Amino acid sequence: MIKRLTAAAAVLVAGGGAVFWFLTAPQTIGAATLPSGDATRGERVFWAGGCASCHAAHGAEGEARLQLAGGVELATEFGTFVAPNISPHPTDGIGNWSERAFANAMLHGVSPEGEHYYPAFPYASYARMAPQDVTDLFAFLKTLPEVEGKAPENRLSFPFTVRRGIGLWKLLYMREEPVVALAPEASEEVKRGQYLVEGAGHCGECHTPRDFAGGPRYGDWLAGAAAAEGNGIVPNITPGEGGIGSWSASDIAYYLESGFTPDFDSVGGSMASVQKNMSMLPKEDRDAIAAYLKAVPARPNGYPSNR
Amino acid sequence: MKKLVLAMSTLCISVTAVLAADDPIATRKRIMDSTAAAAGLSAALMKGDIEYNPTIAKAAILTLGASAATFGDYFPEGSGEGQTTASPKIWEDADGFKAALAKFTTDTSAALEASGKDGPADLDAFKAAVGPVMSNCRSCHEAFRVQN
Repeated sequence: MIKRLTAAAAVLVAGGGAVFWFLTAPQTIGAATLPSGDATRGERVFWAGGCASCHAAHGAEGEARLQLAGGVELATEFGTFVAPNISPHPTDGIGNWSERAFANAMLHGVSPEGEHYYPAFPYASYARMAPQDVTDLFAFLKTLPEVEGKAPENRLSFPFTVRRGIGLWKLLYMREEPVVALAPEASEEVKRGQYLVEGAGHCGECHTPRDFAGGPRYGDWLAGAAAAEGNGIVPNITPGEGGIGSWSASDIAYYLESGFTPDFDSVGGSMASVQKNMSMLPKEDRDAIAAYLKAVPARPNGYPSNR
Repeated sequence: MKKLVLAMSTLCISVTAVLAADDPIATRKRIMDSTAAAAGLSAALMKGDIEYNPTIAKAAILTLGASAATFGDYFPEGSGEGQTTASPKIWEDADGFKAALAKFTTDTSAALEASGKDGPADLDAFKAAVGPVMSNCRSCHEAFRVQN
């Protein structure tokens, strides 16, 4: 009897393992055809995507924001993630990557070696980008300076060291479709804003609270969150209580352009670097982001009131 | 007209400062409020929300100048405690804070000089004068203010 039970348990464990292995297999874009990229268009995607905020040196200004050597650290409760070198350096950066490898990283969070990336790299948002924007971005990155030197490895502890487990995370939280169901009569401007905010801009990565597994709580979309690092908060940017309902669309657009809030405080914290990226976008994109933020469902603050 | 009143009221800050000298935190907050009001007024002019007027423009620059001249006097040792977002770095890196204040003063002085007796003649002249002053807000806040 005991023998039988043990055997049954072994089968269950093995079966469970097989199911786990099957479910967590990294998915890629496969053989799908990719549109050819254009570096000029790609610069706009680069600023919308905020690449420089993690991949350029902390506090970099001007041309230095195009030196994407990585090394910026994100110290979270799961461990410390380190942004890698994504300059076109052939060995230390992504100079030898194919366009397809880049698209797999951006749209599926899978490395050229076929492993899952950690979602500190915000591919759960980038997955909502159009393939054309991804190849345009790749073309632009290729034009940037090659920077030598690999960034240090992530410093994580078990079980977060098991990359395969990220496959489950992806099953639970990744979705290519839009987060907010906009009204059918929503303007093209609002739709463009949705694409920028939910996709490349990856605003929800910091402004949406996360659950115990580090997945976004989509029901509290953009409602503000406990900061990933330290004890601070990331503000509620919905029109709900505690949010920015009192800001007009032009206030939001002006903030993204200049870094000044409606009562003329200046942008601070991690947003300072994000705002620098946003200021590089064409005005119509900042206006679109503002229009979308006026259209998202109002939510009360997504972080505990004692923060 | 409302905006003009706002502009004029921001000019009264140095008086307020004297009245509240025994409470450095309240005083510097008041100065910073008027700084923000002057920055807001400047931005409204630059964005075209208020029609450009050299007298209003000069009032804004003067207010920023008054802030630069007085703000730094209200950070005595020990005033980093209480209802304040002043960063401890103000005292840890006193030289850095002094340098940031000096830059604020230099930039506002240059703007004042450029605005002449009647204020900057046109919007472009005003933008050129006040732009560098406005950049001080952010750099100083990033270094010396803690965000809640």
